[in-house]
Amino acid sequence: MNDRALRELYARWLDVATRAGFAISLCAFLVYAGGLLPAYVPLEELPRYWSLPVHRFIEVTGAPQGWAWLGELAYGDGLNLAAIALLGLVTPACYARLLPALIATRDWLQAALALLQLVVLVAAASGLLAGPG
Amino acid sequence: MEVAAVPWWIWPIALFAVSFAIGIVAVLAGIGGGVLFVPIVGSLFPFHLDFVRGAGLVFALAGTLSAGPPLLRAGMASLRLVMPLALVGSIGSFAGALAGFALGTELLQTLLGVLIIGIALLIWRSRSADSVNVEADALGALLRLEGEFRDPAAGVSIDWRTHRTLLGLAAFAAIGFVGGIFGLGAGFANVPALNLLMAAPLKVAVGSSALLISVINSSAAWVYLHRGALLPLVVVPSILGVMLGSRIGARLLASTPAPVVRRLVIVVMLLAGARALSRGLGLWI
Repeated sequence: MNDRALRELYARWLDVATRAGFAISLCAFLVYAGGLLPAYVPLEELPRYWSLPVHRFIEVTGAPQGWAWLGELAYGDGLNLAAIALLGLVTPACYARLLPALIATRDWLQAALALLQLVVLVAAASGLLAGPG
Repeated sequence: MEVAAVPWWIWPIALFAVSFAIGIVAVLAGIGGGVLFVPIVGSLFPFHLDFVRGAGLVFALAGTLSAGPPLLRAGMASLRLVMPLALVGSIGSFAGALAGFALGTELLQTLLGVLIIGIALLIWRSRSADSVNVEADALGALLRLEGEFRDPAAGVSIDWRTHRTLLGLAAFAAIGFVGGIFGLGAGFANVPALNLLMAAPLKVAVGSSALLISVINSSAAWVYLHRGALLPLVVVPSILGVMLGSRIGARLLASTPAPVVRRLVIVVMLLAGARALSRGLGLWI
């Protein structure tokens, strides 16, 4: 696969995933800020807490850490964390699409780099090494 | 008006406006935007630095994800150049994000102020180099860190290759670490590392820097998410603003005079850095 085709493939996936991420973030935020779903930490009370360090914020509000936000998707703030997490998955998705294309063209070195990058990103996303502090 | 008396909804609107403007300028200046976002929002908005750093990292991630497609299609971002550097950078960024949570707020504010002022001086002093006739080193040749770039502004086609690959890899591990600590995109360091150290043409360095940030920050963003340091009311308006702004910035990149943008960025960074430093030292809260 030549460089131009490689760039175009990555750009196409990046474009679609980023536009989807933008649209989902916008919708999730309108639901949250518009009060269509209740917030885990009510918006009117948030200014009392947002100047606290994160560990104190979590102690006071009981806000989720780690993957616990997955259980709070019925709340506006939990839904928005899911939208942010989707943005964190855009790059792994693009690399996952690149990998078979590189293997198919026997570009082994680039394929190995893409695979290693995927391992790093999946390890970071798993939270196993960076869970709640 | 007291900060506490300001209705909550004013802050996301203000964040959106600030982020939109930073998004345009950041792409034009070849920086991730976090280097402007973190000191400006950390100084002028009421949020704790933990949330500002988290938002800054996702901010730089969103802006560079959005700028990526047009930069790739224009040939200004090279995937072959980005892939090995992003790999070491994302490991460094992940470690840096973990280290950042172990440091006290005042120390972080002080270091942030020093860093931002230092970066502003670095940008002011640095010169670009378009020395494209370098000999590739063995590792660079193995990784095929080379390409062809058609510059529409100059009307020329440039065949480029890089050198000093090992030094480049070490530089990107260190840059990723610092970016992870402070929630910065670290484009301020990416561009000189690619252009001056590795000899990539300036526009390829700027374009590839944006793509690098989008990969590198993807790993550290998860640390901030798992630690609860991403506050949706701070993060989402910021990323919506920067995603719109950086799309416009990417379109303007080929035709905008870089020196004007550079001078503006330096002035803003010096002011924001001085404010962060004074807060860290308790001189002006």
